[in-house]
Amino acid sequence: MLKQILLTFITGCALAFTAMSHAGSTPTDDVRTSVDAILEILQNEQLDKEVKREQMSTVINKRFDFRAMSQRTLATNWKKTTDEEKQQFVTLFSQLIENSYVGKIEAYTDEKVEYPGEKVKGRKAVVETLIITSSADVPVNYKVYQKGDQWLVYDVVIEGVSLISNYRSSYQEIMKKEGFDGLLTKMQAKIDELASTPS
Amino acid sequence: MSMKKLLLAFLICTLPLTVLGTESRRGFIEDYEAQPATGEEVEPPVLEEMETEGTDEDDLSFLDEEDDVIEVYDPLETFNRGIFWFNDKAYFYVMKPVAKGWRWLAPEPLQLGIRNFFSNLRAPIRFVNAALQGKFRDSGYELTRFGVNTTLGIGGLFDPAKVHFGIDRKIEDTGQTLARYGVGPGPYLVLPFLGPSNFRDGIGLLGDFYFSLVPAVFDSPTSYWIAVSADIINFLSIDKDTYEGIKKDSLDPYLFLRDAYGQYRLNLILH
Repeated sequence: MLKQILLTFITGCALAFTAMSHAGSTPTDDVRTSVDAILEILQNEQLDKEVKREQMSTVINKRFDFRAMSQRTLATNWKKTTDEEKQQFVTLFSQLIENSYVGKIEAYTDEKVEYPGEKVKGRKAVVETLIITSSADVPVNYKVYQKGDQWLVYDVVIEGVSLISNYRSSYQEIMKKEGFDGLLTKMQAKIDELASTPS
Repeated sequence: MSMKKLLLAFLICTLPLTVLGTESRRGFIEDYEAQPATGEEVEPPVLEEMETEGTDEDDLSFLDEEDDVIEVYDPLETFNRGIFWFNDKAYFYVMKPVAKGWRWLAPEPLQLGIRNFFSNLRAPIRFVNAALQGKFRDSGYELTRFGVNTTLGIGGLFDPAKVHFGIDRKIEDTGQTLARYGVGPGPYLVLPFLGPSNFRDGIGLLGDFYFSLVPAVFDSPTSYWIAVSADIINFLSIDKDTYEGIKKDSLDPYLFLRDAYGQYRLNLILH
């Protein structure tokens, strides 16, 4: 138990340190730092699942701009919602995205990640990663933008499929049929369902 | 499967080329986007209109891109959802249990060998379609891959072309070729057992069937269907439960898959 706390503490310190030394980093540096941190947590056999999730959540929340993601997912509907509704949506949506992302990464725990390149265009960039597995190479691209001295993820593109575009189309369909409140209800139900069925 | 057959197929496929002429890539994208939208028009949020909050963090209009939204034209949704429901049941009650059994039974190298074997038999699909799209380098790579993997790779069981020569497979099929020649996707279609598709890619499957060596190697109807089923089951045994993940994650798996398919195909067509 003591070992576990110590480990958590050390990981926490390491994370804080890398976060501090970020000034002037490239998009790939920033993404790599987070991806490496996540893989390290996943591969750490001394942590139990709960602690792993918690630590991964911290890393992901630092790197993923959930508010930007929410805004892009709701598109024109974003400005039609109140601040309170926005906050509600961001909270629910970040849980769903996090869960989905972690689920996908978890499937490739023991694999290697390569960084074939990045494309920077002003304040925007795409960081290309390739997950090398024994059965296939999976291209996962991170779309990032610069905010302060950090590059934050605003979309994840897996095999050419953008997570955000995907959510946007289906969420818009649901909103069209059931309204914004209907969407929120469905999201909450999904989160409850995910919480009750441990993966 | 003779040279004559290949030649004939080539002629059939190049015929529309002379009739339609080639269309520019830009023109193709416009066609694709000109598909009737299923919902109201989605426009990127314009900065001036965001009067609700003037805070800096909401000024993200610069993130919007022209390729952001793909509306999939789905007039047959009710019918498609029916097939989707059927596929879901077939997946969970029949195909996946068998695939899991196979996953448990067969060591991974054997699973990968079988996948490589079938993939190699489908190499002519990629070779012909890359050529038809004018990607002669990719086409040449496919031919090389086929030669190397059929010989050194022992009938395609191994993939030395990738492992030792660094030549990777590139997904090309008749549906992509049709798209290159300006054929739009048409209505979205869920095919029994095969899943997401559309009218164009469905017709493309006929072309793929024609170019594939699988029907030539397994030349009786029975052996052909056994081979195809084995290929699918083996594929599912390797797959890391993608469908389960989608079902778990999304509010409406039907919509999620439909839009993912649209994006996935567009990405393949453009590359």
